[in-house]
Amino acid sequence: MIVPLGHVLLFAGLLFVAGLAAVLLRRNLIMILIGVEIMLNAVGLVLVGASAYWRHPSGQLFALLLMAVAAAEISIALALVVYLKRSRGTIDVNRFDGMKG
Amino acid sequence: MMGELLFLIPMLPLCGALIIMFAGGRMSRKLLAAVASFSVIASALTILWLWPLAAPQTRVSLFDWFEAGALRVPVEILFSPLSAAMALMVTGVSALIHLYAASYLHNDPDVRRFFALFNLFVFAMLIIVLADNLLLLFLGWEGVGFCSYALIGYWYRNPGFAAAGRKAFLVTRAADVLFVIALLWLFRLTGSLSIATINQQATSLPAGTLTIVALLLLAGACGKSAQLPFSSWLPDAMAGPTPVSALIHAATMVTAGVYLLCRLFPLISLSPTALAVIGLVGTATAFYGASCALVQRDIKRLLAYSTISQVGYMFLAVGAGTVTGAMFHLITHAFFKALLFMVAGAVIHLAAGEQDLFRLGQLQKRAPLLFWLLLAGALALAGMPLTAGVFSKDAILVACFALNSPWWTGLGVVGLITAFLTALYALRLVYLLAADRDVTIGHGPVPRGMIWPLLPLGLLALVGGQLNLPEVWGGGTALQRWLQTPSGGVGTHAVEWGLAIVTLLLFVAAWLGVRYRFRAVPMPPGGGVAAFFTDGWKIDALVRNAVSKPYEATGRLLDGFPERWYTAVLPDWLGRLCQSAGRYFRTFTSGYVTHYLSGMAWGTFLLLAILLIGLLR
Amino acid sequence: MATLLFYILAAIVLMAVLLCLTRNNPVHAVLYLVHALFGLALLYFLLGAPMLAAWQVILYAGAIMVLFLFVIMLIDPDLFEKKASRGRFRWLPVGFLSGALLACGGVLIMMDPLAAGGIVRYRLSPRAFGRALFDEYGLAVEILSLILLFAAVGAFHLGRRHKGKEDAS
Repeated sequence: MIVPLGHVLLFAGLLFVAGLAAVLLRRNLIMILIGVEIMLNAVGLVLVGASAYWRHPSGQLFALLLMAVAAAEISIALALVVYLKRSRGTIDVNRFDGMKG
Repeated sequence: MMGELLFLIPMLPLCGALIIMFAGGRMSRKLLAAVASFSVIASALTILWLWPLAAPQTRVSLFDWFEAGALRVPVEILFSPLSAAMALMVTGVSALIHLYAASYLHNDPDVRRFFALFNLFVFAMLIIVLADNLLLLFLGWEGVGFCSYALIGYWYRNPGFAAAGRKAFLVTRAADVLFVIALLWLFRLTGSLSIATINQQATSLPAGTLTIVALLLLAGACGKSAQLPFSSWLPDAMAGPTPVSALIHAATMVTAGVYLLCRLFPLISLSPTALAVIGLVGTATAFYGASCALVQRDIKRLLAYSTISQVGYMFLAVGAGTVTGAMFHLITHAFFKALLFMVAGAVIHLAAGEQDLFRLGQLQKRAPLLFWLLLAGALALAGMPLTAGVFSKDAILVACFALNSPWWTGLGVVGLITAFLTALYALRLVYLLAADRDVTIGHGPVPRGMIWPLLPLGLLALVGGQLNLPEVWGGGTALQRWLQTPSGGVGTHAVEWGLAIVTLLLFVAAWLGVRYRFRAVPMPPGGGVAAFFTDGWKIDALVRNAVSKPYEATGRLLDGFPERWYTAVLPDWLGRLCQSAGRYFRTFTSGYVTHYLSGMAWGTFLLLAILLIGLLR
Repeated sequence: MATLLFYILAAIVLMAVLLCLTRNNPVHAVLYLVHALFGLALLYFLLGAPMLAAWQVILYAGAIMVLFLFVIMLIDPDLFEKKASRGRFRWLPVGFLSGALLACGGVLIMMDPLAAGGIVRYRLSPRAFGRALFDEYGLAVEILSLILLFAAVGAFHLGRRHKGKEDAS
């Protein structure tokens, strides 16, 4: 036995919460995106750990799919960052309140 | 196999209507008239061809219209002696009127609509006549109602005419509601809407229910047939073209009520109360119509009131228990009333649209043939012995007197008085039209196409009595033997002779009276009494005061407090509540991404906490 | 040996992540993130996913991080986050939330009997990985390729210079 599954999950949870805290606290759009990346990777770790636990390839395949989706997401998000910087002159999320009711 | 061909009878006029509707745009006027007339003539010929099928009776079902639970409505035709005779009368008279209409409307711009509706009307009427299922009958019933509405308002650019159409539609609809209630009730009681089944099961129904259902059916029939509470639409319906008046509002549609009661006679006859009410309504309407016809100045309104009066006789016949008498009078009336209307149409044509009897005249000089035709129709209406009208009317009165009860004797006496009034106004019509005075000269001679369809009707008005000549006159009562319907009490020969003599005396008296009054060039009637009768006993004003005004007052009342409260104040409050709630909730959406995300995170926490608590317990 | 390695790697990754997230300069943050992702790749390898570990390095630590750096270089560096002006204790609710989430999640994990089970040595060879991917998840691969295409088109559209619309709103 390498390690109990619970430890892998706990570690992934720690990473996830750290990413979440960054997303909630930081105001720089790029830092928020980095937080999102960390959350995604935490999930990937869970998938890989589960794959090893059940001795089944599906988990790893899902992790790969997750990576691909993350790549798509991040390319759009970064394009948005560039766009916002060009059109609004800032990437501080507290300066964007266009959805205010 | 032959049975399926019976569906040709209603389908031919329907095809005619559809062809005119969809392909009539490119047809010439003559072709339109030809298609319309041919479809009806073909339908009449089909009836004659298939006549043997009626002898016992033939029932053919084409398909199920719909089926819901216990309710099954087949599209089914019942070709019985009764319906065959009625169908033949309808198609025969319609065919002649179609031919007449072709000439009558020779320069109307909208003739295509006219013929499409006319054929559609014949189709709907034939559905009423042939249907065995009450719901299918109701389809035709509403179909003729619609066609009647559309044709009364045919010249819809005149607001008065359009209003007349609406009035006819609304009044008959009010009666139809009662008819529908009767239908539903009958379905609840017998589990079927087939007339045959209902008639069979009628004996097992409780007497009180039966009476109410019969009275509801009577109300429906009264609406269609313009009997007393619902009579006021028919005089106004004369706004339509004269062929419409002749076909729909004299010969066929207004007799649909009588026909319905005849079909359901086994049911109705079980309730003496209902029969007494039917007789009363019929007699009252007959008297009412005759008294109004007596003073009319408009030739078409006169004929309309006369129609109301004559249909009243048919109701009296149903009430007195003689279905044969009702059908006999229905058929003869169709002949002479259609004839009179078409003569009136020709007269109006001759006088360039003038309808006032006191400005018409000189008919004998200007169009002798037309005058003789008018005379034939009027004499049949007036009850000159040996014409068609007198035999059918006498048959009804004989049936009344034969019942030997004070009620029916009383109604019979009123019927006799009405016969006298009928003779008066019918002869007055003749005298006024023949009067020697200055008249408006119209478009020239009456077209031939408008004259020759009248000839067979004129002949039938004179000799149509042969259809059901009583035995006293040495006749064979052919109609009675064909229909095999109840013919009420059998009067002794003495009663029949006595009645014949009384009618003859009444006719002669009326003739002498009219001759005395109208021999000189007459003046129009004046005074309040005449106005009262001219306006049909002010029945419109009565309806306005009794129904419309309270309705309007209620409307105004409701418009005040509840209307304002429920459509202005209350919704206003609700709206304000929603607005302020919205304004409050708006502050939740700060527009900052971070806030939304933390909302999500808190939500996640909540879910996890619930899960945890659930596990810990 | 492997067990020890797991905990060492976990500690490194966690450290790198924390350092990354607290940096004020995004370039530094990205560099720490590269460390963290590399550590994660090693963890993947340890848990029997060599193929995935390779992808993690190539795709994440390589391509995506380079993309991040590109973007950071594209935009003005003086817009980097200044010290929070309002609310000194802005982190307090977030801290509470993070702690609560972790506590809940931890208790839930520990209560689950599955979590006590150990991960034994397991290795999915690249050959088996590829076979499973294209056999079982062929459709998913197709869909993913479409998603990537949309992402490329979307990014291209957003990146275009809209003449005259630059200063809109």
